[in-house]
This record gives sequence, C-alpha cells and structure tokens, in this order.
Amino acid sequence: MTDTFVDACRLGQALAGELVIDAHAHMGPWHNFHIPHNSARGMVERLDQLGIDACVSSPHVAIGPCYREGNRQVMAAADEYPERIIPYVTINPNYPEAETREEIEHWHSFARIKAFKIHPACHSYKVDGPGYGLMFEYAREHSVPVLSHSWAGDSQAGATLLSRMAGEMPNVTFIVGHAASSWSMIDEACGEAQGKDNVVLDLTGSQLLYMALEKMVERVGAAKILFGSDIPFIDPAPGLGRILMARLSDDDKRQILGLTTKRVFGL
Amino acid sequence: MAELRFFDCNTRIGRCSTPRPEHFLDAAGLLAEMDCAGIERALVHHAWSVEWDPHEGNQALLRDIADEERLHPCFAALPSATRELPSPRDFARQVRQAHGAVRLFPTQHSYTLDDVSVGHFLDALSFERVPVLIDIGQTNWRDISQVLARHPALNLIVLNTYYRVDRNLYPLWDRFGNLHLDCGSYGVHRGIEAVCQRFGAERLLFGTDLPIHEVGGPMALVTYAAISDDDKQLIAGGNLRRVLGVSD
Repeated sequence: MTDTFVDACRLGQALAGELVIDAHAHMGPWHNFHIPHNSARGMVERLDQLGIDACVSSPHVAIGPCYREGNRQVMAAADEYPERIIPYVTINPNYPEAETREEIEHWHSFARIKAFKIHPACHSYKVDGPGYGLMFEYAREHSVPVLSHSWAGDSQAGATLLSRMAGEMPNVTFIVGHAASSWSMIDEACGEAQGKDNVVLDLTGSQLLYMALEKMVERVGAAKILFGSDIPFIDPAPGLGRILMARLSDDDKRQILGLTTKRVFGL
Repeated sequence: MAELRFFDCNTRIGRCSTPRPEHFLDAAGLLAEMDCAGIERALVHHAWSVEWDPHEGNQALLRDIADEERLHPCFAALPSATRELPSPRDFARQVRQAHGAVRLFPTQHSYTLDDVSVGHFLDALSFERVPVLIDIGQTNWRDISQVLARHPALNLIVLNTYYRVDRNLYPLWDRFGNLHLDCGSYGVHRGIEAVCQRFGAERLLFGTDLPIHEVGGPMALVTYAAISDDDKQLIAGGNLRRVLGVSD
C-alpha cells in the first residue's frame, strides 16, 4: 500500500488518473430532511470536488411516490451531464403491469436501460413478488444489473433472498445495497456473495464500522465490492474517505472505487 | 492545503461489555490508530464510566492516560443530589485543570436533563468553562434546547448525529451560539459547506467515534469540504482546542 490514496484523503485532493464511480446515487429533495444543493448540478459540483468521475442515479421521487417522474428526471440529468450521471431505471411494483411494460418499453426504445434500481422497503413490496416480474424478465433477456435496497433483517429484500434470486438468474448481477450497514448485514451479505459471481456488495451507508471494509475484502475480495454513497441523500465524502483510508492494497482500492462498477455495468 | 491538525472529540478506551475482535481497548491502541490516521490529539472517555460506574470509570481514565499528553480526559458526570461524584464546583474545577471535558449519558445513567436534576451541575461547568458533550442517542433536541436556554454560556457539543438533523439543528443554531456539533457523522450533502456559510465554522468539531467506527469517513468530510483552509483547521482541531483551553 502506498500513501497515494491516504494522502489524497488527508489533504482533500481529488484523485488523479483513477477511475471512481459512485454506483448508488439519488437526486433531488426528500420529504423528511433538508438536502442542500440536491439538484443534478449540485451533485456534479460535488463529484468534481471529490474527483468522482460518474454516479449511477435514481432520483428520490422514483424511490418515493412516482417512479415515472424519477425516470424522466434522471434521463434529463444524464442528457445534461453525459458520462457524469448514469441513469438507473426505477420500477415501482405496486402499479399495474401494463404501466410497467409501457415504462420499460419506452426507455428501451431509446436504448436507455443500463441498470435497474428497486427499493422494496420504500415501496413496501417483496423483491420476489410478481410486480417485479417484467423488470426481471427484461434484466434476464438483456443481462441488466439490478441494485436493490437491502438491510439487516430486511423481510422485503434481505441479502439471502437476493442471493437466492441471483442463483435463479445467473446472467443478472444483483447489487446488494447497504451491505456494510451492520456486522450482521456484513456477515449475511458476505456469506451470500461468496461463490456467486453475480452477487456484488454496495458500501453505501452514513458510517462504516471500524475495520469492516478490511474484513469484507478478506472474505469476498475487492472485485465483489463497489463504492456507493447515496449522494445527495448523504454526502459522498465519507463513502470515499473510508475506502481511501482503509488498510488495503492500492489494487483493492481501485477495484472498489471504480473497476468493480465498470465491469458490472459494462461501462 | 496544509496538513490539518486533527483533534478528535469522540473516542473511547477501556474494556467494554460487547467488544469486537478488531477493537482496541487501551490508550496504546488508540494512539496507534491516531498515528496511522494522522490525528494529533483526542478527547477520550472510558467505557467503565458508561457501562459500570462513572466514578470508577473516571478514575480508570485518569490512570490509563496519565502519561499520554496527546489524550485529554472526558469524564462522565451525574446529577449532584446522590453525591456519587465530588461536588459540582470541585468536579468542574478539576476537569478544567485537566483541560478536559464532561460527557453526559442521561438515558444510560437514568436521569433527566431537567434543571431540577442537573441545573447546579451545569452552572458549575458553565462557570468553569468546561465543555459538555452528549450523544444525540442519549437525549433529544427539545432537552438540548431547554439546557441551552437555561445555560446560555455552556459550551455544548452534540455527538453522533446524522444526516437528518438540520430541521432540528438550524433553529437552535439561529438562537444559541455555544451549540457545537461533532461533524464526523453529520453526513448532510454539502452540509459542512452550508453550515459554514450560514453559521460559521466555529460550530463544528471533528470526531470519529473510534473504536466503533472508522476514521476515513469523518476525516474526508472535513478535508473535502468546499470551505476555506482556515475553516478546515478550525473544524479539524482549532475549535476543540479553543473550548478546552488548550494552547498550541
């Protein structure tokens, strides 16, 4: 391990010549707290400050009341900031199948479906329920990765359930959201990711437990772990800093910062 | 940017009831972690003062950091009525002389922040200019507001907050200049930048929550904030040195 990454964090320097992609981003306001500078522009300014090349985004409105409005917002942002904001297509399984089909076909017609984002907790719907059927059908047909919100003890989309589904869909990569949010979550997510090529773990969370990332790399390897921050739900600096300062090799840090995401998303 | 002089306001040592294999438990372990991360000083409390007895924990803390000038004591306190600790005036004076601080655990230690319970004690700490720290998980914003209204000169530092606090925090900051925030877990998007613009950098202090949480996240929140280098130095350590009365 050299001091390149550690020094960057201590001095607040944007990384030069390193690929950094935030695979778990949102956009816009949210109902129960204040988010300064939450627009696409405010986010890109923050990415610039930190040396983050791009983020993969699902607007807050999409994981909240209107996924269609969210999909429109993120496509517009991606048009305004190409290669900086990469869109997730978000699906809310509580709406009729005909509407889901129309939404998927619409964005498919513009070749805009790079990845799907689902939030079974906010939408109060189990990930293996029929409302997600069309989305998974499309994901299987086109090998599109799916990021799912997850949590320890999550009855809607726990790591074990996501892993079981990954076993049934070998060409769909399942990204387990918030995989480092507690020791029990880490144990479950790492256990499920071991031996499954299409299960990867997202580090998004407001804080990280001491030595947690080092333990995760020891168990599953850096190629199965990716950087995510929740920007602008949460500032991306802590998510970046915990990787830069970790007791890991430079190659492991590069995998987590961007190479895992580049591979999973085919960027 | 010049290297920042970090002074961590939120660390712990001591054997605790639920250690993890990777946790350090003593001052040597904390200092090793500080050296690795580039942290100059730390304010530290003892697990015994939280989980066993404040008096025993405070004594253990003094023993464990006696020869460590980079570690400053953070003592647990209790309401004075049960006389489990020295009188408020003597206690506050001792803490001040040690360039230390006091940390309150009202939920864990079963008391309220009502003035009937802690008023005399907070008066003494305020008189001696001893900073008081409290974890947001041990209290609530209404009680913090009442404490500050009754003790406006008290330097109060709220620890272990999160990214959802602005709607409670901003109104208090509009009114109380001595309210400070441990910003290590204050993950509001561009939140440090917003706070510095509106309220000034003097309100924020660097804290890690070692050994529970890692260092890089809290550090990056300061180093990558879009604020002046002078403001970063204040947040990294200048503000804590000021409220503790520690000279450079």
